[in-house]
Amino acid sequence: MRPSRFELKIALALVLAVVVPLLAALWLAARLAEENLAFGLNPRVIDSLESTPALFGDLFHARKELYAEQARAIAAGLPADRSLAARYLEGALRRTPRLRRIAWLDASAAPIAEAEADWPNPEGEWREAPARATLPSGEILEAVFAIEARFFADLDEVREIAETYQSAGLLRADIQRSYVRAFGLVLVAFALLAGTAGTLLARRTTRRVSDLVRAVRELARGNLTVRVDPGTAGDEVAGLARAFNEMVREVREGRDRIVYLEKISGWQEVARRLAHEIKNPLTPIQLAFQQLEARFRASPGGDPELARLFAETGEIVREEIGTLQRLVEEFSGFAKLPEVRPEPSDLGLFVEEFLRTSPQVAEAADVEVVRASGECPVALDRALMRRVLANLLRNAEEAARPGRARIHLGVSRTQDRAVLAVGDEGPGIERDVRPRVFDPYFTTRRDGTGLGLAIVKKIVLQHGGEIEVGDRPGGGALFTLAFPLAGRPPR
Amino acid sequence: MPSLRRAALLVLVIAAGVAAVLAARVATAPQRASDAPGAVAVRQGRLLATFDLSEAFPPDLQRQLANGLTHVVALHVSLVPEKGDAPAAIYGRTIEILYDVWKEAFQVTVKDPEHPSGRQLSLAGWKELRPFLAEAREVDLAPASILGGGTWVAVARVELDPVSEELLDRTRELIANPRAAPGTDGGSPSVLGAMASYLLRAGQPVPGVHFFRSRPFTVEGGTVR
Repeated sequence: MRPSRFELKIALALVLAVVVPLLAALWLAARLAEENLAFGLNPRVIDSLESTPALFGDLFHARKELYAEQARAIAAGLPADRSLAARYLEGALRRTPRLRRIAWLDASAAPIAEAEADWPNPEGEWREAPARATLPSGEILEAVFAIEARFFADLDEVREIAETYQSAGLLRADIQRSYVRAFGLVLVAFALLAGTAGTLLARRTTRRVSDLVRAVRELARGNLTVRVDPGTAGDEVAGLARAFNEMVREVREGRDRIVYLEKISGWQEVARRLAHEIKNPLTPIQLAFQQLEARFRASPGGDPELARLFAETGEIVREEIGTLQRLVEEFSGFAKLPEVRPEPSDLGLFVEEFLRTSPQVAEAADVEVVRASGECPVALDRALMRRVLANLLRNAEEAARPGRARIHLGVSRTQDRAVLAVGDEGPGIERDVRPRVFDPYFTTRRDGTGLGLAIVKKIVLQHGGEIEVGDRPGGGALFTLAFPLAGRPPR
Repeated sequence: MPSLRRAALLVLVIAAGVAAVLAARVATAPQRASDAPGAVAVRQGRLLATFDLSEAFPPDLQRQLANGLTHVVALHVSLVPEKGDAPAAIYGRTIEILYDVWKEAFQVTVKDPEHPSGRQLSLAGWKELRPFLAEAREVDLAPASILGGGTWVAVARVELDPVSEELLDRTRELIANPRAAPGTDGGSPSVLGAMASYLLRAGQPVPGVHFFRSRPFTVEGGTVR
């Protein structure tokens, strides 16, 4: 998926946030490596290390000199009587430190006398150091001394260390560069890791912001069904998504309310004209027929057959005129719905008062009232709301016909709404019909005018409320009316 | 290990070739080059070069070479056209010198194509060592027949204590495990040091490089002119 500009900006910000300290860290690493190498590969230390083998050389030289001197001293004391030579050499062996073997050789290198120490050298602690003294007679005193083998081991180790540090000293600049590169690689790896993790984390937010932007564009194009998934996070973006969804819902409901009220206004005008057009000829017709009927009754000795026909048709005319007059009244009533003048009230108390002052309701139906909440303060136009309740209860009664209706009234409140539910136990309202039940002149009854529920909805909407129709649990229709609680703005 | 030594020698020989080419290109007047200290001859159909390298081993070098540490002298001889081009032949020799402070003598190991695993010598002192180092006698370069026409120059490159692969490896070990004593398995490896050792490359060659050139020559009729 192609990253959005917002994502690119965040990624760029992350990269900048990483690169700046990275460069500073690299600079510090270079200085640190330089200082550490200057400390660890100090030329004076390396020079000292390089000169250490020479110190061993001096030590060895001194030992050789010492051993040669000791050999000369032993040679100087050789007895003239050669039969005493062996004892003399054994004595010299005991007296002379580190002397392991000594031999007196004649000019042809044949041994005259010799002696050898018997102290062991099991672990190679000693190495042999020969020393030789030549006598004036041409004879030779050959001595073998012992020198500590650890000197040679130490020498080898010192030489290896010195050579290693010498080579490191030669490559000091290269070592520094390699440390800086290594440090840089580590930092870049960490920076990439941090940048990737940051981008992925930021993407969760940026994607949601992008979704919001897309939803706002959809809304601008007039799509009021658009919705944004706020997700499970509790951050500001989730709050923004929820607020957006709420705003869209309110806009949609507001638009629906306006559209409905405009539609109702149109139908009210139609009803007003219809009532006017019907009422105008109806009164002359009624007067003319009454006049005709009076004249006929006043004339003596009339035709009995005509009198019977006159009576039958007169009954039909009066009934139809009555029906038309009732239609005219209903149309007029619908056309002249007054403006809502709300007053502070309590929805539960209002319902109870309505039932108390409307005995005809109890005569026609069994009404059950349930108040699930305490106070439900609302602003109501009591007269119009009585009309709402009367219409809904009449519908419920008619739905139960020919039986006696059982009506369930429930009053409750939510966080910001007072809710009135009106349910019956009739056949209910088909699901495909529900979207039209509040349209004027729509009715499922043969003798209905289709104005009752339209009037109900208009009054409810004018109160800032809403009305829905659905199924009552247990069977029947359920109308749910919701009004804003007093002190809270209507939706 | 012999294979490693041969590999090291091969690397040195290749490095010598590159260096010789570079040397040939700047050979008109190299800063430390000597004028015609070398001579080339043909014997039994092979080109033999002899150089007097004494300028690379001044007397005051004795102190350095006799300090008891191992020193390396790398000698590379190449046969290049006078105008400068790829070498026609390359010869490489490394000489390891260790002054034995107990025996008070130079222990010398010479590695060249004839003795790839090394030839041991013991030289009593500087008076024996210097002539040994200062003369590269009859270095067998190549069959004379490979030269064909043109004018050629033999160039010898002498470097004291070059940055070899062995030296680089030793330094890499040091920085990869700086807490361990050199030559032991102790300590604990450092991650950063291991990375740095992997990235370690030799930069500029260390000072101490000398170039020697023969006079330009041609090979005609089996003789050098």
